[in-house]
Amino acid sequence: MTAHPAGALERELAIAVGAEHVEPTGDAGWRVAPGSAAEVAEVIRRAGSHGAAVHPVGTGSRAMKIANTGRPRVYIATRRLDQVLQLDEMSLLVHVQAGLTGLELERILAPRNLSIGDYPPVVLTSSLGGIISVRTPGKSSARHGFFEEAVVGVSAVLADGRTVHTRVAPRRATGPDLARALCGSEGTIGFVTSAVLRIHHKPESRLVASYQLPSVDAAVSAVYLALREEAAPSGLRIYDADEAARHFDAQSLPPGAALLCAATAGPTDLATCDRDLITSAVIAEGGRRGDDALAEVWWRRLHAGEPTPGPAPSLQVMATPGRLRPVYHAVRNAAAAAGATCRAHISRFDADGAVAFFTFTGGDHVAAAAERAAETAGGWLVGARAVKLDAYLRALRDVLDPRGIMNPGSFA
Amino acid sequence: MDSDRLQRELEAIVGARRVSMRPIDLDTYARDMWPRLLLAHREGEPPAHRPFAVVWPEHVREVVAIVKKARELRIPIVPYGGGSGVCGGAVPLHGGITIDTKRMQALRWVRGDELICDVEAGLSGERFERELARRGYTFGHFPSSIYCSTVGGWLATRAAGQLSTKYGKVEDRVAGLTVVTGRGEIIETDGPNRALRGPSWTQLLVGSEGTLGVITSARLRVSPAPQLKVFRGFEVDDVTTGAHAIRRVLQRGLRPAVIRLYDELDTLINSLGSGGSSADTVHVEDTRAPVPPIDTGALPAWPEAAPEAAGVVERLMNLARGKGLRQGALHAALGRSHLVNKLAGTVAEKIARRGCRLVVGLEGARIRTEVEAALTFGELEAAGARDKGEDPGWAWLAHRYAVSYRMSPVFRDGAFVDTMEVAASWERLMDLYDAVRAAIGRHAVVMAHFSHAYADGCSIYFTFAGTAPDARAAERVYDAIWRDGLEATTRVGGTISHHHGVGALKAPYMAGEHREAMAIFEAAKASLDPDGILNPGKMGLRVRIDRSQP
Ligand SMILES: Cc1cc2nc3c(=O)[nH]c(=O)nc-3n(C[C@H](O)[C@H](O)[C@H](O)COP(=O)(O)OP(=O)(O)OC[C@H]3O[C@@H](n4cnc5c(N)ncnc54)[C@H](O)[C@@H]3O)c2cc1C
Ligand SMILES: Cc1cc2nc3c(=O)[nH]c(=O)nc-3n(C[C@H](O)[C@H](O)[C@H](O)COP(=O)(O)OP(=O)(O)OC[C@H]3O[C@@H](n4cnc5c(N)ncnc54)[C@H](O)[C@@H]3O)c2cc1C
Repeated sequence: MTAHPAGALERELAIAVGAEHVEPTGDAGWRVAPGSAAEVAEVIRRAGSHGAAVHPVGTGSRAMKIANTGRPRVYIATRRLDQVLQLDEMSLLVHVQAGLTGLELERILAPRNLSIGDYPPVVLTSSLGGIISVRTPGKSSARHGFFEEAVVGVSAVLADGRTVHTRVAPRRATGPDLARALCGSEGTIGFVTSAVLRIHHKPESRLVASYQLPSVDAAVSAVYLALREEAAPSGLRIYDADEAARHFDAQSLPPGAALLCAATAGPTDLATCDRDLITSAVIAEGGRRGDDALAEVWWRRLHAGEPTPGPAPSLQVMATPGRLRPVYHAVRNAAAAAGATCRAHISRFDADGAVAFFTFTGGDHVAAAAERAAETAGGWLVGARAVKLDAYLRALRDVLDPRGIMNPGSFA
Repeated sequence: MDSDRLQRELEAIVGARRVSMRPIDLDTYARDMWPRLLLAHREGEPPAHRPFAVVWPEHVREVVAIVKKARELRIPIVPYGGGSGVCGGAVPLHGGITIDTKRMQALRWVRGDELICDVEAGLSGERFERELARRGYTFGHFPSSIYCSTVGGWLATRAAGQLSTKYGKVEDRVAGLTVVTGRGEIIETDGPNRALRGPSWTQLLVGSEGTLGVITSARLRVSPAPQLKVFRGFEVDDVTTGAHAIRRVLQRGLRPAVIRLYDELDTLINSLGSGGSSADTVHVEDTRAPVPPIDTGALPAWPEAAPEAAGVVERLMNLARGKGLRQGALHAALGRSHLVNKLAGTVAEKIARRGCRLVVGLEGARIRTEVEAALTFGELEAAGARDKGEDPGWAWLAHRYAVSYRMSPVFRDGAFVDTMEVAASWERLMDLYDAVRAAIGRHAVVMAHFSHAYADGCSIYFTFAGTAPDARAAERVYDAIWRDGLEATTRVGGTISHHHGVGALKAPYMAGEHREAMAIFEAAKASLDPDGILNPGKMGLRVRIDRSQP
């Protein structure tokens, strides 16, 4: 075989990571699995010198649609970057490589009575590099906030093969938060090789409770009443009557009513206090304590892998506290207008708001109308982008990556 | 281009009354509260860098027009809030147009259901809080400079209020920004963090100190006004015990509004300065800071006050008196700082034999605050802190702004004071304390308190006081303190600024702070400010504009 450029690149990749970690892909590219941050840098440098595009691959949970740019592609998998580099139990910080999944990290922390925190476990099934590189509405916890807020530092390889380490400090006033430039950038600014994350002691107590309220509106009001009294629950979920019936066989709520499940955690006195604050808020909104067994089922499904009745929701809408109710009603009305039924639950509360998950039956044609209705009511669809800022992102990328090799096609 | 034309061009945008090229205004806007500038000022030296013009826009559209004009003329733009910055951030190092934001000062709306407000950048901090309080809310941001700083200045510097342990630093409270970029375009960064794909523009712009854009308004998170406040004083044997106690509180998931620990010397000096004789009695008098005429929106651009640390020298004088030294011995004492540090340390230990003062306060919703307070106090006692009752806690609260406005006379007496606020993870914190204290202690008297705590680390606020025979020598000592202090910080893995920002003062140390990651900051700069007109010479960014004349 004559030495055409592609062959040369393949050989260089093999030198960089070892031939056993280079494998051709169907689309005239290679999948390589570097074993260290230094190897990642070497791969990116080599790929760049051949004008090849590099595409980071975590657990691959997101189906990648990559536009054909006509140049060779190097898929760089993080799966061999699966080490905990440092555990600082005194500062509750952990330095982990990008290929480790959240759940794997949780398993390493658990025997030490430590935890990554109360994030939805489904999110934690992804690689940590993937979790912090892509922003999605799931990545939030009522107790700890948005996942990115747990990211104290990021190490990443830039397009020219340079490695940057944003420095670790609890807070700083030394310019923009450069780690936050890498978070959410979907591999277009840098390849994340490791990150320093805030972790937590396992809570001393965990309590769950369930409540019945006269309506979804009342349930939303009760939640915000409790949050205003500074309750800090570790999980909250509101089911409308149809969703509750679907998720809990035995459960039949009066039409229009809502089920609220709440979990609190922390020092026992605080966890109890938070639970009581939620109870008071529910009563103030005309509801009452329900069957806690339901809340236990909900919590086990969320955190112990018990299956949740399908199908997966058809539409997710993020809404700020004041827009949750309008979004809920707008989508239901849109579904009704299209002759479909619609059920929903609301969860993933944090300071920005919460996410409403809708499931339609009786027609896929509802989706588009429902999305429009949600947006008109002030909701945010998954994967929205501040399009006006695209020019700025492009200019920023042009400086760091003039050849455009870093995950081209993302954000397209 | 001559200055007449510049004046005409700017007048065409904002009208004649909101442009000034009068020398007195240019002199005023040549400075902020960077203590180094006071050294030269005290010698009667004219300011080294003055703006070409000062403008007072009232609307974001005017800011756009000014930035576009500056871009066309290739002259710098320097945003100016209250001018209370302590790092020379608002000093026009390369001249240009200074944009004073203080006429953009509306609190446009407060949404109770969202707990968000929309506020213009030039609103003074004190007035912002007062207007929120009237509606039953608080932003929870109480810097010592609240009377002389603006919301925009806070955002631009990643400022910290005294109650940040509960409410967060200012960057933790931003839902969206309206910014005029160096391209002369308006951008808005609003939207839920997790719904928007791409990097966080809010977090890239917060803390950029006028180098990436002019912040004209912001959507900030507010909290319901507290129903209950609980404050208490404690005492611990030494700083290590105190730091450990604070860490236990934070890592148990408790969030007091404030928790501060004073080292031996700081404990002693605090008690002396207020006329008390022991570490736990602080008299509540003189609690009122002079209030600038805030209703006009004008802030004292050059307040009769030195930075918050200035009180330390008066207190050192008291200390000297207490040791039977003549007052004139002050200079001699400051000049031999290592001895004073040692002596004061010993004296402090003796006088304040009971150890270091720790102040803790909680506020918020009634029921939860009560529960959290009980847990917090219990945790502190379990960690070996001794409860000194409520009085020292309340006394701290009453005094928290008072200290800021005193003591400018010490600068006239030839001494200088400043503060260095650094931070690190808990694992590195005591190394940071020791390393910086040793580094500064070679040149000046130094004391510290631990003021903003997190589950993963804490900030340390060093106050130092020094002296030298003349201004030149004082500048040399002053520069050496910063060099040694910040290099020590970087060496032990701390950050060179927790909340005062970088400005001109710390610009030379940004490379050490961020190393290769500066490339990302530079890329953001090239994107948002392609011609390099925004606040050139600051923050260690490359300077791409060179104009010293209008
Ligand atoms: C439009 C969209 C909708 C989604 N909806 C949901 C949802 O509803 N719920 C949910 O939980 N998740 C959702 N996902 C998200 C995806 O499964 C998660 O974000 C997950 O965290 C990605 O992790 P992964 O390890 O599977 O990454 P991958 O799927 O392998 O990669 C995801 C993206 O991140 C980049 N990337 C991966 N690793 C790195 C790295 N180390 N450095 C730099 N870049 C890297 C990849 O190149 C790719 O662009 C969605 C994603 C997208 C884009
Ligand atoms: C007595 C005293 C006490 C202090 N106490 C504290 C404290 O407790 N906590 C604390 O964090 N700091 C404190 N500081 C420092 C100072 O008050 C803060 O840095 C404050 O945030 C600066 O606000 P300002 O409006 O005065 O900004 P300025 O000093 O006017 O400007 C600071 C920097 O921000 C830029 N800037 C200002 N406004 C804008 C804007 N709208 N858009 C873009 N850039 C802008 C300027 O160009 C400059 O680089 C104190 C200072 C003093 C003098």
